[in-house]
Amino acid sequence: MKYHVVTLGCQMNMSDSERVISVLEEAGYQWTDNEEEAGVIGILACSVRQKAIDKVYSRIHKWNKWKNNKNLVTFISGCILPDDHEKFLKLFDITFQMKDLPELPKMISSYGITTPTHLNVGIDPHNENIEDFWNVQPHYQSNFEAFIPIQNGCDKFCTYCAVPYTRGREVSRPSKDIIAEVALLVAQGYKSITLLGQNVNSYGLDKKGEELTFPQLLREIGELGKRMKKEFWLYFTSPHPRDMTDEVIEVIAEYPVLGKQIHLPMQSGDDKVLMRMNRKHNMEKYRHIVETIRRIIPQATLFTDVIVGFTGETEEQFENTRKAFDEFKFNMSYTAIYSPRPGATSHRWVDDVPLEEKKRRLHQLTEDLRKHNLPYNESLVGQTVRILVRGEDRKEGFLTSYTEGKLTIRFACTDKSMIGQFADVKITSASDFSLEGELVEVAASC
Amino acid sequence: MKKHKVTQVRHLTDSTFVIRFERNGMEFQTGQFVLLGTKGAVDRREYSIYSGENDDYLEVLVREVDGGKVSSKLKKLKAGDLVDVDGPFGFFKFDPQSFQVQQFLFIATGTGISPFHGFVKTHPQLNYKMIHGVRKVEEAYDHDDFNKERVTLCTSGEKGGDFDGRVTEFLKTETIDENTNCFLCGNSEMIYEVFDILSEKGIPTSNIYTEVYF
Ligand SMILES: Cc1cc2nc3c(=O)[nH]c(=O)nc-3n(C[C@H](O)[C@H](O)[C@H](O)COP(=O)(O)OP(=O)(O)OC[C@H]3O[C@@H](n4cnc5c(N)ncnc54)[C@H](O)[C@@H]3O)c2cc1C
Ligand code: SF4
Repeated sequence: MKYHVVTLGCQMNMSDSERVISVLEEAGYQWTDNEEEAGVIGILACSVRQKAIDKVYSRIHKWNKWKNNKNLVTFISGCILPDDHEKFLKLFDITFQMKDLPELPKMISSYGITTPTHLNVGIDPHNENIEDFWNVQPHYQSNFEAFIPIQNGCDKFCTYCAVPYTRGREVSRPSKDIIAEVALLVAQGYKSITLLGQNVNSYGLDKKGEELTFPQLLREIGELGKRMKKEFWLYFTSPHPRDMTDEVIEVIAEYPVLGKQIHLPMQSGDDKVLMRMNRKHNMEKYRHIVETIRRIIPQATLFTDVIVGFTGETEEQFENTRKAFDEFKFNMSYTAIYSPRPGATSHRWVDDVPLEEKKRRLHQLTEDLRKHNLPYNESLVGQTVRILVRGEDRKEGFLTSYTEGKLTIRFACTDKSMIGQFADVKITSASDFSLEGELVEVAASC
Repeated sequence: MKKHKVTQVRHLTDSTFVIRFERNGMEFQTGQFVLLGTKGAVDRREYSIYSGENDDYLEVLVREVDGGKVSSKLKKLKAGDLVDVDGPFGFFKFDPQSFQVQQFLFIATGTGISPFHGFVKTHPQLNYKMIHGVRKVEEAYDHDDFNKERVTLCTSGEKGGDFDGRVTEFLKTETIDENTNCFLCGNSEMIYEVFDILSEKGIPTSNIYTEVYF
């Protein structure tokens, strides 16, 4: 039977969908790009974003109509709030939590034999069987870049975020399994591996004394990199400043395979906004981390996440975020306009910054980022850097790649066999958000 | 999420009450909160733990919010009912041993007094001062459980407290040693203002801990 899976939301859902696909393939189902010819269709949903939830409704209404003319089994999983879960119970044939993924083929084959409600399990925030899910060998979507979940759930309860309510409590995956998955991927020639979790650097804290800490896990992977003598870059996302210790930074500096790019969500540059966001870090702590990174790994690039227009954010508080941009000179910021997420605490608070003002703040920060990026990127012109080729560029005759610090570089080449390979590129020109270069050793067919 | 049986509901004012329920072995550090809802309800909310670490029950202090979805349902609870509880969560944890200087200032508005009740119940020998801001004298929730000399009740809606006016007005008149560990809990307006006042008085940000309710 053919199946189709729709994945909405963030990188975590993308990574989960690799395991869903793998379980279905293993059970003998065949993938189809065409929803209409599938006998089983599933969605990995995301309650965290209203738009993603709207998409679920429009899809399921369409599929349920198809059921008048053909046999179709629908399922849903992912990041789902209890409220949405209640509604989906009535609309989908099967709802399940990721920890129950290994049971999915059984649920599909017994659908129609047992009653539908029997197959619909409630949301259990404790993630006790999540290891069964992690033990599923994923069907990786790329043959040179892979994401490895190392932890599920979040206990931080930032007031703007619904993840603690959708993914439940923080649970760390056994380190031996993570290291084994990294080793397997490296042996298969993967070049870029990202450890994934809502709070990667609180890894192990739920099993204190029994499991490695996050810096210990990184060290083990660094040692593995030395032993395997294969070139790869290992990243992680997202860490929380609260749990970012000096030790993490020291370990990154020590091992060549640990990518010199650090993503450190700041969210706001104002202490009061951070309090209201319940971030449990303040600017003093954030500054300490950035200073430590600059001192120990001066070549590291720094990425961040910022929310503009959070409930009650005043002009002065926003200006503090701008000052933080001036101070930290991020290489990239994923800046989001605040919108109340159903299920999150701040959803109950007045969303009082007008949309136009939020847009202005977003635009302003993008301009600030541009202003700081340009001189940094220009300073790289003339340097030869190692890059990982990722695909064809929008500009014809060019390939796109990124540096170890995840800065995008394009270069003239039409040899697609270079995709997924490392190469050396001399940077020839720079703009605010990208770089251009030329291959140092030109492939025969470029 | 676990079901816990309610053993007692104590109404302190028309709108505020303490719900006591079975602890069922839940380990927590005073200052943390639980997610609480009536049995089987989709909506649950955060409530600081009001009882002490050594009590064999759990308590929360709740104020019914006008038109509030969850607090109004909680108000109707009776002994014997079941509630859904998840937790404990949060980093407003309080362990006096982890502070070099044993000098604490607690500032609360309304039910924001709840974690401090837990702090003091767990650590009765604590060297603390507490400023509690409310509208009316009747909102001095369980002040008998605190050392009277350490507490200042600020009433903004009527006379009769230790200070007539808001917490922030009182705080401005106080001298505070810069080594004091300051804990702020309640509504964000108060927390913002108090944060500014404390900063002006030279208290470093690293000595200020906050829990925002709304
Ligand atoms: C970490 C944390 C701990 C908390 N601990 C407690 C506690 O110990 N005791 C307690 O009573 N509440 C506490 N709260 C607030 C509580 O979680 C709920 O927000 C509150 O009970 C209202 O829920 P509701 O469903 O009844 O109202 P909703 O239907 O959610 O409507 C809430 C509306 O009331 C406002 N509101 C929320 N709380 C209050 C309040 N206390 N006074 C006035 N307006 C309010 C909100 O901004 C919103 O506009 C805590 C909140 C957080 C984030
Ligand atoms: S934003 Fe906060 S609550 Fe949400 S996943 Fe990240 S740390 Fe957890």
